[in-house]
Amino acid sequence: MFWLALVAIGSRGALAAPEAQGDVLATMRTALEEAEQKLEAATAREADDAYALSYEVVDHRETTIQGSHGAAAGTVGSRRRSVDVDVRVGSPELDSTHKIRDESMFGGDERARWIVGFEGPLDPLRRLLLRATDDAFRQARSRLLKVRSNAAVKVAREDGSADYGPAPAVTHIAPPAPVMVDSAAWKATTRELSAIYLQWPEIIDSAVQLVVTEDDRWLVNNEGTQVADGRRHLRFATWATAVADDGMELSVYDYVDVASPDHLPSPAAMEAIVRGVAERTAALRKAPVVDPWTGPAILRGRAAGVFFHEIFGHRIEGHRQKDEDEGQTFTKRVGQPILPAFLSVVDDPTLTRLAGEDLNGHYAVDGEGVAAERVSLVDHGILRNFLLSRTPIEGFPRSNGHGRRQPGNAIVPRQGNLMVQAEGVVSFAELRKRLVAEAVRQKKPWGLLFDDISGGFTFTGRSTPNSFVVQPVVVWRVWADGRPDELVRGVDLIGTPLATFANILAAGGDTEVFNGVCGAESGWVPVSASSPSLLVSEVEVQRRAKGNDRPPLLPAPMASTAAASR
Amino acid sequence: MIAALALVGLALAADVPPASLALQSALEAELARVSGLRLPDAPTPWLVSYDVLDGPLHYAAAEDGALYGTNHTVHRMLRAQVRVGDAVVDSSNFSSFGGPDGVQLRALPEEDLAVALRREIWLSTDAAYKGAVELLSQKQAVRRGLKEAPPPDYEVLPPTVVAPGAPVGSALGSAAVDALARDLSSAASVGVIEAAQAEVRDWHGWHLTVASDGTRAWRPAGNVVVRVQASVRRADGTEVRNARWWVERDASALPTSEAMLAETRAMAARLVEIAAAPDPEPWLGPVLFEGPAATELFSQLLAPELVGTRPEESDDSMLIGGGTPRARLGRRLLPEGWRVWDDPTSRSGAAGEYTLDHEGVAPHRVDLVVGGVVKDLLMSRIPGKERVHSTGHGRGLGDGRRAAIVGYTHVAAPKLLPARALRRRALDLANAAGLPGVLVVTRLTPPAMVEGLEFAMSGDAPLAGLTAPYEACMLDKKGVCAPVRNLRFVGVDRRALRDIVAAGPGPGPENQLDGPPGTGRYTIGTTGGIPTTWSVPSVLVSELELEPAVGGEPRVIRVERGEK
Repeated sequence: MFWLALVAIGSRGALAAPEAQGDVLATMRTALEEAEQKLEAATAREADDAYALSYEVVDHRETTIQGSHGAAAGTVGSRRRSVDVDVRVGSPELDSTHKIRDESMFGGDERARWIVGFEGPLDPLRRLLLRATDDAFRQARSRLLKVRSNAAVKVAREDGSADYGPAPAVTHIAPPAPVMVDSAAWKATTRELSAIYLQWPEIIDSAVQLVVTEDDRWLVNNEGTQVADGRRHLRFATWATAVADDGMELSVYDYVDVASPDHLPSPAAMEAIVRGVAERTAALRKAPVVDPWTGPAILRGRAAGVFFHEIFGHRIEGHRQKDEDEGQTFTKRVGQPILPAFLSVVDDPTLTRLAGEDLNGHYAVDGEGVAAERVSLVDHGILRNFLLSRTPIEGFPRSNGHGRRQPGNAIVPRQGNLMVQAEGVVSFAELRKRLVAEAVRQKKPWGLLFDDISGGFTFTGRSTPNSFVVQPVVVWRVWADGRPDELVRGVDLIGTPLATFANILAAGGDTEVFNGVCGAESGWVPVSASSPSLLVSEVEVQRRAKGNDRPPLLPAPMASTAAASR
Repeated sequence: MIAALALVGLALAADVPPASLALQSALEAELARVSGLRLPDAPTPWLVSYDVLDGPLHYAAAEDGALYGTNHTVHRMLRAQVRVGDAVVDSSNFSSFGGPDGVQLRALPEEDLAVALRREIWLSTDAAYKGAVELLSQKQAVRRGLKEAPPPDYEVLPPTVVAPGAPVGSALGSAAVDALARDLSSAASVGVIEAAQAEVRDWHGWHLTVASDGTRAWRPAGNVVVRVQASVRRADGTEVRNARWWVERDASALPTSEAMLAETRAMAARLVEIAAAPDPEPWLGPVLFEGPAATELFSQLLAPELVGTRPEESDDSMLIGGGTPRARLGRRLLPEGWRVWDDPTSRSGAAGEYTLDHEGVAPHRVDLVVGGVVKDLLMSRIPGKERVHSTGHGRGLGDGRRAAIVGYTHVAAPKLLPARALRRRALDLANAAGLPGVLVVTRLTPPAMVEGLEFAMSGDAPLAGLTAPYEACMLDKKGVCAPVRNLRFVGVDRRALRDIVAAGPGPGPENQLDGPPGTGRYTIGTTGGIPTTWSVPSVLVSELELEPAVGGEPRVIRVERGEK
C-alpha cells in the first residue's frame, strides 16, 4: 500500500546551522577505499566478491515552531546524521539484492540502520562505515546463497534482466546554504495566528506551525561518484478540527511548501490561509454527507495530480515491472495507448518551480548517484517509459535517475515531480459547463467537484484488488438544475486504474501543484504532482471512515470571550 | 577536558522556574466545570484528578565523543484521570486492549495563557470521561459471574494540600548535559572497543496534583540519569558488553565529572580485559554476588515479591498483565533471620526518597520481610485482598496506573561476614562440590540494557529470570579472580534467594530507575523511569546454573581506531 500523505513531523531541538567540520566526503572516500582493499584481501579466495559499494550520509535537521490557541506551544527541533551502506555481492547479472520469490514474511534480511555523531572529528564516521560495510557484506554474502537456491527451485523469471545496470560516475558538489529563520519572530507569528481559531467556537483543536527542514547529503561509490548536496524545505502549515453532530471528525489542513524563506507567504496571506481553514472547517460541520455514488466529476488540479500519482505514478515505477508479485498494470503496454491522446505525463526532478510554486520533488542526483533526468512517460496517450533506478527491467537497461529512498531503506525507483500535461484545454468555466452537461446526459441530478484533497493510497500487488483511494477534504455538489454549488463531506474517491483512465473527457488550463511526501518500500520521499483540472465521465465515491465520538460535552472554555473578537 | 571542567562550574546553575500558579488556576477552572460532564444513562465522574509535570528537560546522546541526539525543551505534560462509578467499583484498574481509557496524556503549551491551557485540559477531560464510562461498563461485563467481588478500586483519604515552595533541584543545563555525554562516550571509546555510547538525561521541575477531592499538591520533581555503555567484538564474532550508570535526584548529587570519567575509563579497561578471557564453560555451583550485582539481584528477584498492588483486570488476561506475579504474605523469600524494609522517608538524599507519592500520600516505613518471611506489602491507593491501606508507595509513569513500587529498600542479613571471609566461605562451598573455584559476579546487566524482546519492547513483561552478568570472574584458591565472559543464568527465580548461605558487606546505597510494568519503565529519553534506592549486602548463593552465550560471525573487515 503506498501513500501520498501530508504529514508534518514534530521534533525537538533548536535552530542551528551545522558546525564547521572536516571534509565528510573525503572521509567517506577514504573509508570506501579502505573497505575495498580489506574486502579484496579477505575474499581473494572466494568466488563472490563485493562488486558494488556505496555510502550515503544524510544530516537531517528539523525545527518546528508552533502556536496553539493563542499561546506558544513550543519550539522543538531534532538532528540526526544517518548512514546508508549498500554492498552488492555476486555480479551485475545476479547479485545479493535479487528478489527471493515466495520468501517467508519472517525470512527477509533486516536492513541495518546506522546513525553517527553530527559533530566532532570524523574518525568515528570512518570506523562506522567500515563496521557497517562488514555487516552489509556478510549479510549480502549469505543472501546470495539463498538467491541462488531460490533461482534453482523456481520456474524461470518472466523478466530476465540483470540486477544492476551501468551508470557513469558523477561529480556533483553543490552544498546549499543554511536557512536563516528568526525563530523569535516566528514564535510570535504562530502564536498570533493560532489565536484566530478561538473566534470559531465549533473548532475544538487547531495549530499553526512553521517546519524548517535542512538536509545535507554526501554520497560516494566505488565507481568514482562523489556527491555533496542537500535540500532546504520550509512548510507553513495550519489545521483545525471540529466534530460534526454525527461524530465525524473534520480536520482541514492547509500549507505552503517552499524551498527558501523568501518564498514563504506574506503575513496577510498566512492570515488568509488560517481564516480559510477556519471557515472551511466550520462550513464542513454543517455540510451534508454524500452517500455512495457514481457519476461525472471534476478533479481540480491538485486533486487530479494526486489522482495521477496514485493510479499511474506508482504503477510505472520500474521495479514493479519485474516483480511477479506486482499487478504489472502497464508492463506490457509500452508503445500502446493508455490515456486519451490529449494527455501526456512526464516526471522531471530537475525542475525547481512550476505554476509559481516550488516543487517538492526536485533533486539533481538520485540516491544511487545518477543524474536525475526528465522522463517522458506518456506521450499523447502512448506509454513510452518507466521510472528507473539502476535495477534494469526488460527493454530498459539504464537508470533515468529515479532511485530514491528515505535514509535507512533500500533504494527503489520513485516519482519526483510528476506532471500531467494536456492539449486542447478549456477554461475552468467551460469544464464546469461540460460537467453539468455530462450529468444531464447521464440523467444524474448532480456531479461532484473535488476541490482539494489531503492525500491518497493505492494497492499495486496481485494479491489485493488493484484499486486506489483519493481522500478529498473539499468536495462540492454541482447541481444540474442550476442550484448553487453545495459543500458536502464524508466521501472518498475510489476506483481501479484502467477503467478510470478511460473515463477522462477533458482538461482545463489551470495547472496546480500538490506538494507532499510519498511513502513506499524505500520510505518517505518528497514529491510533487501537478495537473490541470480534469473532467471524468464517471467516478465512484464511498463513505469515508469516521469517528463516532460525540462532540465535547462542555462548551470550549472562555469561548464567549474569544468569539466576541471575531 | 574543557567541557568536564565546565560541568563542575555549571552543576548548580538551576534553570527550574517557579511554580506556575496560572497553571493551577487553569486546572481549577476546568475542574470546576466537570460536574457538567454528563452522558445519557451513564454515570458522572466521582473523582477527577490532574497531574502535571512541568520543567526543563535536557537530554543528550553521544557516541565516540560526538553527539548523535539531543533534546532540550520544556516538558509540560498533563495527565488527566476521570473515574466514574464509586470508590468500590469504578472505571480504574481495568485495561481494554486498544480500547477506551479513563486517563489521557496531553502536552500543554509552554506559555501560561489561560485560554490555551484550559483548551488542552478541557479536551483531555472530555476524552477521559468518555473513556471512563466505556471502561466501567466493560469492567462490569467482565466481572459478571465472578464468585467473589474483587477488593475496592480506590482508598478514599483526606485531601492533601501542599503549597509550592522554592524550586528545588539543580539542573545541569543544555551545555553541560551535551558536554558530559560527549566526554563520557569519548572516555569509553578506546583501544579495541568497537562502540561506546553515553546518554545523559536531566529533568527538573514540578509535579502538581489538582483533584476534585480537594487535593492541591505541589512538590519538586525530577532526576538526573547518566548511562555509559561499550562493546567489543571478539575475533570469533562474539560481542561482549559493559556499562556504568548513575541515577540521582539532582546534579549536585552526581559524582564529579572527573570521577565519572575515571569510572568510565575503568569500565572500558575492564571490558577489554573481560573480552580477552577464554571461551566460557557451563557453570553449576556457588555464585557470589558482590557490589552492584548484589543490588541488581535483589532488585530483579525481590522487588516484585514486595508489592501488593493487584494486577490490572482486563478484557483479555492473556494480553494484559495476566502473568504478573503476585506477592503473598507468609511466603518465605529469604533464609531465617533476614529482614527487608522500605523507607522512603529517611532523608539521606537517596534518589528513592520522597515526601509524597504520586497519589498525594506521605510514605511511611514498611517492614516487609521478617525472619525471611513476607509480613507486609507495599501499597498504593489500590486496595488488595490482604492489605487495603496505602503505604505511600503509589507511583507511576505516563498514563499507567499508580501502582506500588519500592522506594528505598533495605535488605539486612542476620550476620555479615567480612569480605575476605565471605570469599573463603564461597571457596569452601566450591571445594565441597568438587569445583576448582567459585564464580564471582560483580555486575549484572540492568534490565534497561538487555537486548531481549521481553525488556526492550516496553517493559511490560515481568522480569524473566535474572539478567546476564556484565562483569564476572572465577575466584581460585590463591585468591586470583580470572575474568569470565558471556555467561547467562538458567532457570533463576525468587527461590534462588532462599539458597543464600552467607552475606557480607554490601556496596552501599545504590540508586536505580524502575517503575510499575508499563511503557517507559526502562527508557530515559524524556521522563521515563522512577528512581529507587537499594541497600543490600553481598551474598553467596549455594548453587546456580549458567550457560555460555557465545556466537556471531567474525568480521571480515578489521577496523582500527584512527586519530581522535
